Amino acid sequence: MRPIWIIARMSVLENSRKHVFHVLCLLTLALIAGSTLLSIFTEGVQVKILKDLCMTSILFGGAALAITLGCTGIPNDVESRTIYPIIARPISRAQYVVGKFLGTMLTVSMGVIAMAAVFGVLIASYQHTFDPYLLLAVGFTLIEVCVIAAISTTISTLASPAITAVLTFLIYICGSIKIGYFGGLIDRATSGFVKVIYAAIYHALPNLECFNLKTALVHHDYVPVAYLAQVAIYGLCYAAFVLFLGTLGFARKEV
Amino acid sequence: MSAPLSTNELTKVYNLGRKKGTKTALDSLTIDVPEGVIFGFLGPNGAGKTTTIKLLLDFMKPTRGTATVLGRPTTEPATRKLVGYLPEQPYFHKFLTPTEVLSMHAGFAGIDRREIKQAAAAALQQAGIAQYADTPISKLSKGLTQRVGIAQALIGDPKLLILDEPTSGLDPIGRRHTRDLLVELRDQGKTVFLSSHLLSEIENVCDVVAVLKAGKLVACGPPDQVKEQNSQVVIQTSTVGGDAAERLRFAGVTVVDDPGGSALKFDVDYLYRVVMTMESMRLPVHSVNTQRESLEEAFLRLAA
Repeated sequence: MRPIWIIARMSVLENSRKHVFHVLCLLTLALIAGSTLLSIFTEGVQVKILKDLCMTSILFGGAALAITLGCTGIPNDVESRTIYPIIARPISRAQYVVGKFLGTMLTVSMGVIAMAAVFGVLIASYQHTFDPYLLLAVGFTLIEVCVIAAISTTISTLASPAITAVLTFLIYICGSIKIGYFGGLIDRATSGFVKVIYAAIYHALPNLECFNLKTALVHHDYVPVAYLAQVAIYGLCYAAFVLFLGTLGFARKEV
Repeated sequence: MSAPLSTNELTKVYNLGRKKGTKTALDSLTIDVPEGVIFGFLGPNGAGKTTTIKLLLDFMKPTRGTATVLGRPTTEPATRKLVGYLPEQPYFHKFLTPTEVLSMHAGFAGIDRREIKQAAAAALQQAGIAQYADTPISKLSKGLTQRVGIAQALIGDPKLLILDEPTSGLDPIGRRHTRDLLVELRDQGKTVFLSSHLLSEIENVCDVVAVLKAGKLVACGPPDQVKEQNSQVVIQTSTVGGDAAERLRFAGVTVVDDPGGSALKFDVDYLYRVVMTMESMRLPVHSVNTQRESLEEAFLRLAA
């Protein structure tokens, strides 16, 4: 475990110095601050609009961070040759990939938590109380971001940063509309073969919709604990499996 | 006891794509590096030196053949526990200081947390850059960064050091320091696998050398064995021309005209025959010298 933590720490130090990290964090914070202006015009439902806009900003900000940091971590190390002295040490390629993923995830979490803190302060100033649903919604956003970071890291073990970013973004979009779009496609398919293809895509794609607890936060809807546990386990298992594929791919890669 | 580093028919063929076919970077390399020596690994650019090092450290898989490091297969990460590696022109995260780089590598090498600082300081001292311990890498010159790389390779008290161009970018003082360090490490019983283009340095410090040419091993052994065994004799005489020069060439002599006369170069085995020929032609002997092939000449003969 120790080499994984050392690589993760190094990755956090590296990622937190990247301009893209600062720009995306500031952009999201600006969007959160901007949401207060928009919600002024909708009297009565101000807080609901604010929550909706801010959660969407945090989700997109977190996803953008996960994609950009995840897709550059390993390829940059290979390109700059900083990877050589590291993998010449008694560490496995799997430990390296997991360490880089953890580093990415910790950096993204730092950004998301900073965004959520500003959001929490804003909501508290409107409601004059802390909203516990906020923790739940941000927690599940972090799990969603974890899945995206795992996908991005895995693809980056085999592809260039540009291709990784595009593919991860496509998977993110498809994963966000999976149930509504791909579910319908399976039902509408006439040929058995096409049905199998659609079903394969449907099951391979992550179900990112299930992590979105924005509605529950806005309307204070009750969400069963069993459902939350199931979704959390699903997200962590999906990320772990994708990362496992990444370690397999990177183990064969010639650097 | 097994050799610290050993390869058997190690071959690497790169696939360059459908149209370009394949390229054999390393062809059936079989070497055994004895324990406690400095092993010089020579070859022109593209001979397969870096490919060999990458195969030894499991950066890539061989197409054929096997390699063992400290008696274990290179594919096991644990094998590298007692290996120090210096890449050619090492790169580190520029925001880190040498102490932080070495602390990170000390962690990888499994050094106890309480001893990391001490180990890092000792390695920096050995590499001669203790005064730059807390300067960010971005502020260090190429030569100093190279020395951080050397310190990084030394951390964890490795038994085997694999060094790719260790003196690259170093000034004469740095080169001398590195050369002395290598000898010191050898004297401590460590094995050093040294890839370098600087033949004079290899000649000065290496106990065994191997020469690669286009991926193939063309010579391997102690430097004296790799160099041409027969010494050359050079006799300076008065100007030789016409039939006399022809007779001398027939006796195995290379006649080189120079301002003071002619220089007759020949293998020491032909000495008696040449002297007898000169005597018959009444050629004077101004001076007699012997010349031994340098490693550079041997390298050019073997690899050019």
